[in-house]
Amino acid sequence: MIKVTHVTKTYDDGKVRVEALRGINVEIKNGEFTAIVGPSGSGKTTLLNIIGGLDTPTEGNVIIGETNIAHLSENQLIDFRLNHIGFVFQSYNLIPVLTAKENVEFLMLLQNKSEAERDERTTKLLKAVGLEDQINKKPNEMSGGQQQRVAVARALASKPDFILADEPTANLDSASTANLLDIMYRLNQEENMTFVFSTHDQRVIDRAKRVITIEDGKILSDEIR
Amino acid sequence: MIVKIAFKNIWRNKLRSWVVITAIALGIFGGLAVISTATGLSKMRQNNAIRTYVSHLQLHDSAYLKYGRLDDTINQQADIITYLEKSKKVKGISPRLKVESFIQSAGGTSGVILNGIDPEKERQVTDLAEQCIAGNFLERYKQKPPIIISQKLATKLNARVKTTIQCSFTNNMGVPITGIFKVVDIFSTSNSMYDELNAFVRLEDLQNLTSIQGSHEIAVVLHEEKEVEQFREELISKFPNQHIASWRGIAPDLGYADKMMDLVMTLFLIIIMLALAFGIVNTMLMAVLERKKELGMLISVGMNKRKVFWMIIWESIFLALIAGPLGIFSTYLAVNFFGRVGIDLSFAAQGLRSIGLESTLFPILDDKYYVIISILVIITAILSCIYPALKALKLNPAETLRTA
Repeated sequence: MIKVTHVTKTYDDGKVRVEALRGINVEIKNGEFTAIVGPSGSGKTTLLNIIGGLDTPTEGNVIIGETNIAHLSENQLIDFRLNHIGFVFQSYNLIPVLTAKENVEFLMLLQNKSEAERDERTTKLLKAVGLEDQINKKPNEMSGGQQQRVAVARALASKPDFILADEPTANLDSASTANLLDIMYRLNQEENMTFVFSTHDQRVIDRAKRVITIEDGKILSDEIR
Repeated sequence: MIVKIAFKNIWRNKLRSWVVITAIALGIFGGLAVISTATGLSKMRQNNAIRTYVSHLQLHDSAYLKYGRLDDTINQQADIITYLEKSKKVKGISPRLKVESFIQSAGGTSGVILNGIDPEKERQVTDLAEQCIAGNFLERYKQKPPIIISQKLATKLNARVKTTIQCSFTNNMGVPITGIFKVVDIFSTSNSMYDELNAFVRLEDLQNLTSIQGSHEIAVVLHEEKEVEQFREELISKFPNQHIASWRGIAPDLGYADKMMDLVMTLFLIIIMLALAFGIVNTMLMAVLERKKELGMLISVGMNKRKVFWMIIWESIFLALIAGPLGIFSTYLAVNFFGRVGIDLSFAAQGLRSIGLESTLFPILDDKYYVIISILVIITAILSCIYPALKALKLNPAETLRTA
């Protein structure tokens, strides 16, 4: 369960003051397939960053499970992200010098998992995203869609509580988008994995079970389908 | 995994990495080459001086050094020679009688120091016999006493082998004496100034002419150069009335050159390490700035900053670990090769001779410098990438993902 209460975020560089979030309250339950939507500059990425512990709120609390991450130190946040949150980024952000397999097992290495456990989970995850025959390829040898599927497998590798995906289909063609959404939807259905997207891609919005619309840093609507 | 990623990271931009590696290797090679050449020159000058005229140790009567009087000969000569001949450390000794003289031939005149020597004993302490062109080191002569002069002096006097020359000096009573000698050989050392000022005759001939028995100087050469100072102390305690000096005391410029060389080498090492440090700082800073987004991603997904820091340190260590051995090994090969065959500097032979050097230079590099350089390269690599690594630690993951 993710519980965001009275969260505000203000950027102030001394000259310009921007209120990116203005008192956000939202709860996301386990197993949800939620899209946060809104126009550019609406605050959806800021909200996602705050939920993911990449940024801290100016005010308010972000409670994940039983931990209020708004009060964690920088190092505690890094550890928390490693063990509780999976990330999928818009531009894949795989480690270019590592193969698909090495990229997926990277987080498990940071978690000091045994080699046997890493091998087993990496194989399983790459199979789940349909890349079992691409394990030794490096990112530059794969298509954008394949790279994003590796990124999903990587996000799942650390056994997170939920996955945050920031515009995951923005750089993908229709076929790759459909394929990626199928995979994520299946993981959500079969393994009860929670997915939270920020997106303005209608194809993602159409598949979401809940759509939270943000504008000017405020929740405009919260639609459960 | 961190080490593996670090190693792979340095090959992302192969050209840049190789340029840096080559620059570091060349820097190390250049620095060590200069050090080895300078050491070779210094050692050559030192060895030449020791082999030609200084020897490891020289013993004099203290009064002789103070007043330069002919009759201030070494007063314990027999005891000293017996002691030296019994010592296992001593390779050779040569007593010398030295007289300032005016030398004259039909072709010219000059002032020289006449050195009365025992040819057999002198062979044990100097290589003067090997510098004689006719191979007659005062050993073969007929009626007139033999003399050896240098090529430079021979040119000045317009003399050659078999030329009769006259030496004028005063004995210990101040009575003018003239000796007639026949040139039996001509020598040429690597020190033209020494050549011009010295001529050699047999010890007994000079003793007969001056009516002085004994000698003014005993030159000593040891088997091991490193034992010189210790043996000097031993002699001083045994013969406290004698003035006993090591080559460092006799020719302090040689000792200064040694110390100067240490200073120069330290400076060169600092320059090499600074060049290495700037190369690494520049490369690693570029590598960090180019990968801001990726480093931000690594921190985002849970790689703690300690690991990010070490990943960058390892990248730098790998650059140094590749470049260091390349530079050191190429230096080792070059120093070994030229240490055997020498570097031909005959185009500057005359100039080199005037400062006591030969025209073939043999570079020397003490093994310790390979070890020191290896350790310094690693330390410098680590130190110089701390700044880029700290720069990486300051990255804000959310910001780098948003803006990069």
